[in-house]
Amino acid sequence: MVATDLLVQSLLNGLLLGGIYAVAALGLSLVFGIMDIVNLAHGHMLMVGAYVAIVLFTALGLTPIVGMVVAFAVLFVLGMALQRFVLEPVVGEGMEQPIIVLFGLALMLQSIGRIVVGSDAQATDIGIPGEAITIGAATLSFPRVVTFVLSIVLILGTWAFLKYTTTGLAIRATAQNSSAAQYMGIDTDNIYVLTLGIGTGLAGAAGALLSMLFPITPFVGWSYLLKAFAVVVLGGVGSVAGTLVGGLILGVSENVGVLYLGGGFRDIISFSIFVLVLLVRPHGLFGSSGGGE
Amino acid sequence: MVSLTEPFEGLFGNRRRLAVAIIGLLALAVIPFSTTAYVTDLVFTGLVFVVLGVSWNLVAGYAGQVSLGHHAFFGLGAFVSAWLTTPARAGLPEAIQSPALVAVAGGTLAAGLLALVLGPILFRLTGHYFAIGTLAVAAIIQLVLLDQRRFSGGSTGYYVQNNLSEPTVFLLMLAATVGVVLVTYAIVNSRSGLGMRAIHDDEDAASSLGVNPLRYKLLAFAVASAMAGLAGGFYAQFSLYVNPDSTLGVTWMVDTLVVVVLGGMGTMAGPLLGAGLFLTLDTVLRETAGEFATTIEGALIIIFVIFVPGGLYKLITNRSGGDESRETEGEAAAERAE
Repeated sequence: MVATDLLVQSLLNGLLLGGIYAVAALGLSLVFGIMDIVNLAHGHMLMVGAYVAIVLFTALGLTPIVGMVVAFAVLFVLGMALQRFVLEPVVGEGMEQPIIVLFGLALMLQSIGRIVVGSDAQATDIGIPGEAITIGAATLSFPRVVTFVLSIVLILGTWAFLKYTTTGLAIRATAQNSSAAQYMGIDTDNIYVLTLGIGTGLAGAAGALLSMLFPITPFVGWSYLLKAFAVVVLGGVGSVAGTLVGGLILGVSENVGVLYLGGGFRDIISFSIFVLVLLVRPHGLFGSSGGGE
Repeated sequence: MVSLTEPFEGLFGNRRRLAVAIIGLLALAVIPFSTTAYVTDLVFTGLVFVVLGVSWNLVAGYAGQVSLGHHAFFGLGAFVSAWLTTPARAGLPEAIQSPALVAVAGGTLAAGLLALVLGPILFRLTGHYFAIGTLAVAAIIQLVLLDQRRFSGGSTGYYVQNNLSEPTVFLLMLAATVGVVLVTYAIVNSRSGLGMRAIHDDEDAASSLGVNPLRYKLLAFAVASAMAGLAGGFYAQFSLYVNPDSTLGVTWMVDTLVVVVLGGMGTMAGPLLGAGLFLTLDTVLRETAGEFATTIEGALIIIFVIFVPGGLYKLITNRSGGDESRETEGEAAAERAE
């Protein structure tokens, strides 16, 4: 039997981790919901974002929070270029083409990562002094709390952007009916470019956040892709609120599961949840069948 | 059009092509006796690429189901074949120790059976969900084996023993490759092959016309997975080493994808051409570009999908014109002979 204290501790740590999982999944979910593209390189972009933060920290001593902003920006630009120059020409040719192209991109990012930074695991340091926070019998480490708060800020920011800005409205309109949006004067090609930019930018930010908690290697891409996808199917494609809930569920399930099954099961747990949910409710636990909100 | 009642008619209808194929096979057959171990290794890998490419193409190129879990069946075939020839090292009873050929058959069967069990579940998913679902299932299989150190040797892997010489395993693999190509060709040109292509083009339409999509998808998936298991089984007996990281790794999926995309998806000759090109390219790149080889391969996938959508097959047939399938089958045999 596992002690109650330990269980509460895992539960809370899981919730805090779940916030980052939600950010990692949000970009994947938006791109899937709005553009009907599964970004198979999403996990690898997250890895790139993590290294941006790590390099800024180790080379320039910048805090990972600055690293997160830069990682978002770098991946935002990369994502926009990817859509404009690589995906746009193959979209509409069939489902296989984008999948294969993104698979190839994932492979490239992983091997470039291995060449540039080597195979050893690296991490950032939160760089801000702070006390562990005690709640009852559980102690929450300061980096975990900070990364959780940042995650929530990113998620709320994305939600507010989609909900309250004109561009956000145009994105939602395009997701609902792209040809109707076009008749209304929306340049849907640009909307797609922007959407992929935001999606991959969020992957970069999530990577920077993760680098504050876990060591990163160039090989973590596939694992985080599948975790992010697990959150997407848990929360429903394209739903911001669903993604947050899905992320928290995944974080908690992983942390509590590891307590009972052992550390080797962390990824097995999240991938199994993913496959199970996919089979029971192919459109997610909280999702409707369509894209959009 | 190839006759449905005589599935091999198209393949052997042309004497010149038959002659080229036989000469090519003979040339391949003497490789383990006439060249260095390095070349033998290389060509063996090429044969593995052919089997993986041809079989994945059956599921993805013909039946239109982009599975990203093909490497799991390859790895399972390898591990089952390793367990059966060398059970003691995995803590399995000595009684199951079998000759290498039986072990490879066991690996093939295990992969096929797993596909038959997983197929009906995975085929509840379509499109993107199927692709990512298969990727996840393959990852779970790899992680479970990695965790079960007793059976997999953990990250250090597991040494395999058998009573066959290296040239014998090579020749058996060559025979298996020919078998895989012929069986796939027969399926593709049978009624089932038509059913698969109908599903690929429009599953709903095919379904409304009385084609049972699940039946054909499952057939393609199980046969292709068994073939991947076959390649894995021989790979374990040839390399005499298995390891959950490399043998079950997504790298094999990448290689498969490169082979098929370079050669041409949904064509019979495509994977054969692709395997030849990829083998050459991979060898040259590893010597010239070193660690950048994988990066360049990733870039090639992207470049081919965008600029050469039909792959090498289309490139060749467009240039030469005329009777497409006949010309390229000959080219394919010639490519393999190299």
